[in-house]
Amino acid sequence: MKPISIAMLLAAALGAAPAWALEKGAAAPQFDLQGLEGAVKLAKLQGKVVYVDFWASWCGPCRQSFPWMNEMQAKYGAKGLQIVGVNVDANSADARQFLTTMPARFAIGFDPQGATPRSYGIKGMPSSVLIGPDGKVLLEHSGFREADRAELESKIQNALGAVK
Amino acid sequence: MKALLLIALAAGLSGCASLGNVQPWEKGTLARTEMTFGDGHMFTRFDDHIYTSREASSGGAGVGGGGCGCN
Amino acid sequence: MTSNEDKASGRGLAASIMTAALMLPGVQAHAETPPANGTITLGYLNYKDSQSGLDRTTVHSPSLSITAPVAGVWNIGASVVSDDVSGASPRYHTAISGASHMQDHRTAGDVSATRYFERGTMTAGVAYSNEHDYLSRALSLQGSLESESKNTTWTVGIGHADDHINPVNKIVSNEKKRSTSLLLGVTQVLTTSDIAQLTLTHSQGEGYFSDPYKALDNRPRSRDETTLLARWNHHLASTGGTSRLSYRYYRDSFGVRGHTLGAEYVQPLSQGWTVTPEARLYSQSAASFYYDPLYDAKLGAPFPPGYNGTGYMTADQRLSGFGAVTLGLKVSKQLDKLWSVDVKASVYQQRGSWRLFHEGSPGLDALRAQTVQIAINRQW
Repeated sequence: MKPISIAMLLAAALGAAPAWALEKGAAAPQFDLQGLEGAVKLAKLQGKVVYVDFWASWCGPCRQSFPWMNEMQAKYGAKGLQIVGVNVDANSADARQFLTTMPARFAIGFDPQGATPRSYGIKGMPSSVLIGPDGKVLLEHSGFREADRAELESKIQNALGAVK
Repeated sequence: MKALLLIALAAGLSGCASLGNVQPWEKGTLARTEMTFGDGHMFTRFDDHIYTSREASSGGAGVGGGGCGCN
Repeated sequence: MTSNEDKASGRGLAASIMTAALMLPGVQAHAETPPANGTITLGYLNYKDSQSGLDRTTVHSPSLSITAPVAGVWNIGASVVSDDVSGASPRYHTAISGASHMQDHRTAGDVSATRYFERGTMTAGVAYSNEHDYLSRALSLQGSLESESKNTTWTVGIGHADDHINPVNKIVSNEKKRSTSLLLGVTQVLTTSDIAQLTLTHSQGEGYFSDPYKALDNRPRSRDETTLLARWNHHLASTGGTSRLSYRYYRDSFGVRGHTLGAEYVQPLSQGWTVTPEARLYSQSAASFYYDPLYDAKLGAPFPPGYNGTGYMTADQRLSGFGAVTLGLKVSKQLDKLWSVDVKASVYQQRGSWRLFHEGSPGLDALRAQTVQIAINRQW
């Protein structure tokens, strides 16, 4: 009995593909968060390609992703990209502390209650969601490794290309 | 006795499905170094070495440490 | 395996720094990516024990360890330690008159490589330990697999060690000891502030287990060991501190049963200081072939009553029944973004009468020990 339950658990773990809570083409859930200067609302960004990144001060790879996101915002902001970093620290003070050492040149919204990551069904930290100008989800990505940069940038370019 | 130990482990395994449904964005506290079970710290190795040289019990957290003629 | 030995003997100190032997880092909880930074640690251990009011063994142990993330998916670790042991070890029980004075030097090292995958890790390691009369080499392989939610992590590990024993007193020569271990573990996130771990290890060993420097020591040529370890870390939001509790049950084919209860409390303070008090309670039964310090009427010490030159026997205090207590305090300071220092002091005492729930072995003097450990760490 016991060896079988262990085998089943392992099989389930290995076989299960990551399940996106949001399907490609689904409408991206709305959010209205307190930002560094005023509110940050998804509704207000209609018509732009929005890259939503869920981050926290305690997440190692998040620190790696910030310089890249700053670079992306600078490069594609004029072409219609808006990066929104949704912070999920339970204590927003920790996030503000993080931002003093790693400034963000993109919009930041604070969600200490975690309602936004929950509605997006994210599976890991960090997670990012690319939303088209029509408000529909284009892709959902978990984690941030060196190898991810090129792939994510090309996805952003495609989304912006589709706009024109 | 060995059966009892296996049951203890299986109980731990089977009970796991219902416990601990913590979401990825709620893991701030769990990310703290002192909340992990990392045993790579030098002091852990020093202590383990001293205890295996003065007591009969050994092991627990890892495998593969070599032996010594420590007296 | 042979190449490791050749390398070490051929190039002296440089070789011993580069050769590293490994004890696997144990069961980790979060295995998505390697640490962002590497660390280099320079450490030092000073250990002194005493018995019957006389100093016994003194150990000085400098150590160096390095970890380095590589290519975003690997983590390499290596460490080397150099033990300087000197003092007197009783030849039987706690008899100082029958003490063997020794001066020994041991060099040990290890290397490990961990590969990080989407939902797990794989670690391979080698370990090496060399003294003038004892050589040990070990290999290990450990894998971990996380559930989709990453709240559960399974671990499997296997290790093998090969020892060569050549005591200076020539009581035996070219003896060997081999052992294979298997580990199964599960780590489970319980709440946002609680995480627990259960690990079961089983080892099987064959070969020479006796202590050649102890009088009349004759142990079985096989030793099977089982260890069950349960750990629980709990964070207290009210103080910002974390309690780390552990219980280990050990049993082996020598007849030893050991219980270890450990508790430490990590309390971060302001200005980058952290204090961690620690208490450890230990209790073990005697090995089935251990004999008390009651000697044969005719033959006298160290011969047990009715000694006829055959059978398993040991007068080694480490295989007697006793209880032991450790009290320790670690103080750490984060100096700046890269540097930190840890200092730990502890006292240890072992007594037959302190064995829990049962009678400990009589007639042995208490063993007292104190340790001081220092570590200087630099991230890079």
